Amino acid sequence: MMKGGPSQEDIRRHNLGTLLRFVHLRGPASRATLAESLGLNRSTIMALTADLTAAGLVREELPRGPGRRAGRPSLVVRPESTRVYVLAFEVGVDRLVVARVGLGGIVLDRREGVRSRDSDPADLIGVLVAGARSLVRKAERGAVCVGAAVGFPGTVRRSDDTIMFGPNLDVGDLRLGDLLSRRLGLGIPVSVCNDANLGALAEHERGAGVNSDNLIYLHGDVGVGGGIIAHGRLLTGDEGYGGEIGHMIVNPGGRPCACGSKGCLEAEVGERTLLAHAGREEIPGQPGRDAVRDIVASADAGDIVAREALQRVGTWLGFGVANLVNIFNPGLIVFGGTLRDIYLGAAAQIRSVLATGALAASREKVKLRTAALGDDTTLVGAAEFAFAEVLADPLQVLARLKAPEDSPV
Amino acid sequence: MNPAGNGREPVARPIGFPALPDGPDGASGPWNAADTLTDHDRLARGGAARWEPLGMSVTPALDLRGIGKSYGSVKVLDDVAFSAYPGEVTALVGDNGAGKTTLVKCIGGIHPFDTGEYRFEGRPVRVGSPRDATRLGIEIVHQDLALCENLDIVENLFLGRERRRGLALDEDTMEEMARTTLSGLSVRTMGSVRRRISTLSGGQRQTVAIARAVLWDSKVVVLDEPAAALGVAQTQQVLEIVRRLADRGLAVVLISHNMNDVFAVSDRIAALYLGRMVAQVSTADVTHRQVVELITSGTSGEPGKRR
Repeated sequence: MMKGGPSQEDIRRHNLGTLLRFVHLRGPASRATLAESLGLNRSTIMALTADLTAAGLVREELPRGPGRRAGRPSLVVRPESTRVYVLAFEVGVDRLVVARVGLGGIVLDRREGVRSRDSDPADLIGVLVAGARSLVRKAERGAVCVGAAVGFPGTVRRSDDTIMFGPNLDVGDLRLGDLLSRRLGLGIPVSVCNDANLGALAEHERGAGVNSDNLIYLHGDVGVGGGIIAHGRLLTGDEGYGGEIGHMIVNPGGRPCACGSKGCLEAEVGERTLLAHAGREEIPGQPGRDAVRDIVASADAGDIVAREALQRVGTWLGFGVANLVNIFNPGLIVFGGTLRDIYLGAAAQIRSVLATGALAASREKVKLRTAALGDDTTLVGAAEFAFAEVLADPLQVLARLKAPEDSPV
Repeated sequence: MNPAGNGREPVARPIGFPALPDGPDGASGPWNAADTLTDHDRLARGGAARWEPLGMSVTPALDLRGIGKSYGSVKVLDDVAFSAYPGEVTALVGDNGAGKTTLVKCIGGIHPFDTGEYRFEGRPVRVGSPRDATRLGIEIVHQDLALCENLDIVENLFLGRERRRGLALDEDTMEEMARTTLSGLSVRTMGSVRRRISTLSGGQRQTVAIARAVLWDSKVVVLDEPAAALGVAQTQQVLEIVRRLADRGLAVVLISHNMNDVFAVSDRIAALYLGRMVAQVSTADVTHRQVVELITSGTSGEPGKRR
């Protein structure tokens, strides 16, 4: 069947989403600014904001602060941050974080827990659910939870959100999303995504990569993860396993990796390798991040063993980056998690390898930056992912959540 | 500031793609596959022909040519050329006594140079005093920071340039500006803007000194060894601030002895050796070893892709 152009309803839905997305990402904006930025006329903006206001997604108010300009001030459209929120979960090897994030990307409240490395994966869900429940209880009366997402350090199948592989956090084939969704009982599905993919999303939408549509995010936890944004979209691959930069082989026959291969980037620059090079033991109970920071600090203080360890790791990281630069020609590479510290501590090695190993044309303009969102890249990414649905079709999603159908199985 | 864009602009594709002037494999390969070339290929290949330093088409914010400076009979700078571009961090490196600090003092108008030309945003200017430099939008953060310990953050930021409302000081506006500037540097750890400098840590003081330099809509900021006396965590923060300043469009000049810091944030490296500028190269084109050689011997074994 031939389909004509988009219907009036499609256009309206698209415009509502676009407007909501704008105030969600860029913050409160006056009607005049919205009209200019979105290329819509003022009466359209007025109609759209009226719809969104009625749905309780935004509110309009007079601009704050001294208005020095002549004429009637343009009303400012603000996202209803405390009334429309998502739950964002970060599952790290050493820490668990749950946050209630309001529309506009404001972290309203959060619970953080330390996870010991030998704890039972079965406990995981209990801890996450308890954290989330206490956050939901604190929410304002009448506030709506519009989504939930988990960042997980492992590969996740996109079709059903099943965790396929998470060597650093041994859970095996686990349908974490379904389990969480059922236990939470909020009537919303819980998505599960690879943590570094979410980090890429977060840095692209709110961090160092706001102006860059071709970026690569590298995340260091115990392992090394990656997320690739190409032409403004996350590269997921066929089944959602894309972007596993940590398992790019940089040193054939090198150190054994948890995935079974040898010489993966993760095996050459991961936390355990850095500790081994520096001649240090993993201290039970100490988060890996602190162990890495200790080594960077010792290197800075002149400890030659720590310095050499950092340089070795930096060189391998340089090879990984050089390959990525050649293949993807990114405008920006962002180092997050422990790789932030490693980048700042071993930039000379990384960039030297890049200068000799990458094509001149591709390396010339690539920017290397540290994550602007600091330690919260995964969490922010999970929140953004959870907001995606309501931003795509604001009224429909809200209507569904506010008047729940009678079949929450 | 991204003069070259991100390479996504649709480029009109000529029919029958011409042989490339000096691409890696020149005209030798069979190029009849031109139809399957993507914009990406074209940009990558075409881009390879350009060896001039990046930002060549952009007017430097600061452009010094043929600078000479002597203290009495001691010649300190000899025919030095130096430029700093908007949106870039230019690292100025050199051994002790190479002339880095003298060059910075010339830039800041503290010591006028003897010979040479000083261009700012493309026009020749005369910078005879620090006030001249400030008026142009050139700010220097000195190694000793020059902060008054007994004054608070706001008072330091506006020292000598206080905002007035009538006869009184406009404290509200100054506080607001201080807060905006500090939050623009992503500094959340500072607490109240009314804290005295004497209560701040080294990293926080450095941040205040940098904030004072960028408060005035400045165009060029010169930082003399900003991380010299700081711990690792604070050094990392300062480096990130330095990078952010450039990403916002300022021309930043960073003096540092730490090669890691230089490689972590710079776009371009200018190496002084015995009062002469021996190289000004793109950081993307050099290795650690080459830069160390430039600093210690004034030449690098493999000159790399310099002009």
